[in-house]
Amino acid sequence: MTSDTRSIIEVESVSKRYTETVSALRDISFSVAPGEFLTIVGRSGSGKSTLLNIIGGLDHPTSGNVRISGALTDYHNHHALVRLRREMVGFVFQQFNLLPAMTAADNVAYPLLFHGRPRQERQERALELLSLVGLADRTGHYPAELSGGEQQRVAIARALAANPPIVLADEPTGNLDSKTSREIYRLLRELNTDQGITFLVVTHERDLAGYSDRSIELLDGQVVA
Amino acid sequence: MISDVFSIAFRHLWRKRLRFFLTVLGITIGVAAVIATVSLGEGIRYNAVETIKTQSDLTLITVQPKVHGDVVQLITGARIMEIRNLSSVTGAEGITRDTYATARQTFIPVTGIDSVEEGGLLNLRYSRGRPFSPETREVVAGYRLGEKLQRYEGIRQNDRFVVTIREYDASGKPLDSEIELTLVGVLQERGDSIDEILLANRGAVVAARTDAPLYDGILVRVDSPEHVAGVAAAITGMQLGATGAFEQIESVNRLMDMVVLLLALFAVISLVVGALMIMNTMMTSVYERVREIGITMAVGASRRDVIRLILAECLIIGIAGGVLGCFCGMVFAALVNTAGRSFILSRLGEEFTLLFGTEIARVTPGLLIAGLVVSVLLAVLSGLYPAVKAARLNPVEAIRSGG
Repeated sequence: MTSDTRSIIEVESVSKRYTETVSALRDISFSVAPGEFLTIVGRSGSGKSTLLNIIGGLDHPTSGNVRISGALTDYHNHHALVRLRREMVGFVFQQFNLLPAMTAADNVAYPLLFHGRPRQERQERALELLSLVGLADRTGHYPAELSGGEQQRVAIARALAANPPIVLADEPTGNLDSKTSREIYRLLRELNTDQGITFLVVTHERDLAGYSDRSIELLDGQVVA
Repeated sequence: MISDVFSIAFRHLWRKRLRFFLTVLGITIGVAAVIATVSLGEGIRYNAVETIKTQSDLTLITVQPKVHGDVVQLITGARIMEIRNLSSVTGAEGITRDTYATARQTFIPVTGIDSVEEGGLLNLRYSRGRPFSPETREVVAGYRLGEKLQRYEGIRQNDRFVVTIREYDASGKPLDSEIELTLVGVLQERGDSIDEILLANRGAVVAARTDAPLYDGILVRVDSPEHVAGVAAAITGMQLGATGAFEQIESVNRLMDMVVLLLALFAVISLVVGALMIMNTMMTSVYERVREIGITMAVGASRRDVIRLILAECLIIGIAGGVLGCFCGMVFAALVNTAGRSFILSRLGEEFTLLFGTEIARVTPGLLIAGLVVSVLLAVLSGLYPAVKAARLNPVEAIRSGG
């Protein structure tokens, strides 16, 4: 397969096997253009989350390659993976995964700590992002004091903190009601068009795939559409 | 960045305040126990050494010939010069020793020396009379000998008295000779061996015998007690023997080293228990926060960042425990020195007042710093395993876990 220089994400024949017989992903290939909003749909257990974790450098494939902005991801190099997570991608999880001991602003600023940015700059960036996701009045609240939709907005702001070109969202609305889900999708789409961030969103809700530019479907670890 | 890591670490600890306090308490007790035992030992050592210092002539070293196999290292004028030239030595005089018998067969140890001026090398103080004049058979008695001569021999100041010097001829037959001495002075009490001896002109002591050596000892004065051990070592290095009150201090120090070491060993056990508590706390803390650690990794923390976050918590525990431990140790020492001191003295009796001077337990700045350093080191060391374990977590599994 020739590498397409216009792609920001290239997945080449990626497989993930847990044992000889149990596979999560089988020979997956696709690419994502910069600024694209791509949804990956499929039933639970189809390997969607594993694929997202591999692209984001949290997990590693058994075989195959992943290129981010043309650079081959070296899954054996801890520092390369840390750099990938720090600079290239932001994660949004189904469970929100905010740190309970920190306020909304501190949660958003948290990733910048590992960039060694000064506190002042981190705080300013956090406030800016929180107002971008519509939570300017919730900066000092702890996660337990926020609704599900608000928590996910904080998590989205956190994913954007380090200004990554790619956001990987794993079932971002899985724990939210349908009205809130639509609001979150509209927000993601807005960030996509306004900021030019590439979105890769995993979901099992087909109707939400309508917000995307393109959708691929996984079934039993293989791309079917 | 460092201050941020600490503020995050502190926030984590504060979430489980009670556990944090209990862990800190564990290390506090350990540090306090070490400071209490060591300060007590050091205080007793200090008081014992001070007692020796006030009761004896610390800066005086007596040098004797020493036998090495068949060879005797004799004392010569050159040796005396050599010792005089050592640094910290303010004076050195050769002496000759002998034993005379009085008419009533009281044996008197005699030391022949060149000068017995008030003050001088031996730092002499006269209770009555005056120093002997050079080149005469005038003598000066130590305090206790002076009492003895007066009481049992009836010899008073300015009395002349006859002593017998026994020598042996080639066949082993005793040859006695007699000389007449004049007692011109008696010294003040010193609390050392000079109280028991008669001081005479060295020339006269040597002349009194046919085969007397010129010198059989050297008295050496050192400028300060701190330099005595060094001078003694230098003299020992010349193959000569060196004795003096400083040896008492050395043996007290050796004894107290052992006592303090043993006491501290028991205290260290509580410190080890404190360290195990920290390890346990941090293991629990890591276990509870597996998910948070996974999230931290997902947002871009490296293994080193994770280790740093966990060790920062240990550092806070170590500093808190160390500071509180030092404080508790000082409180203990203060209690021993006030309430404890009067209790101990009431049990032991007034004669121990001198031994337990103003303070029994002695907390030195060095001891406090050592307590703090040990606490911090132990805390960080105990946190190393939990921290590395946290850093090795698989982020995907960590985030998925319920913790």
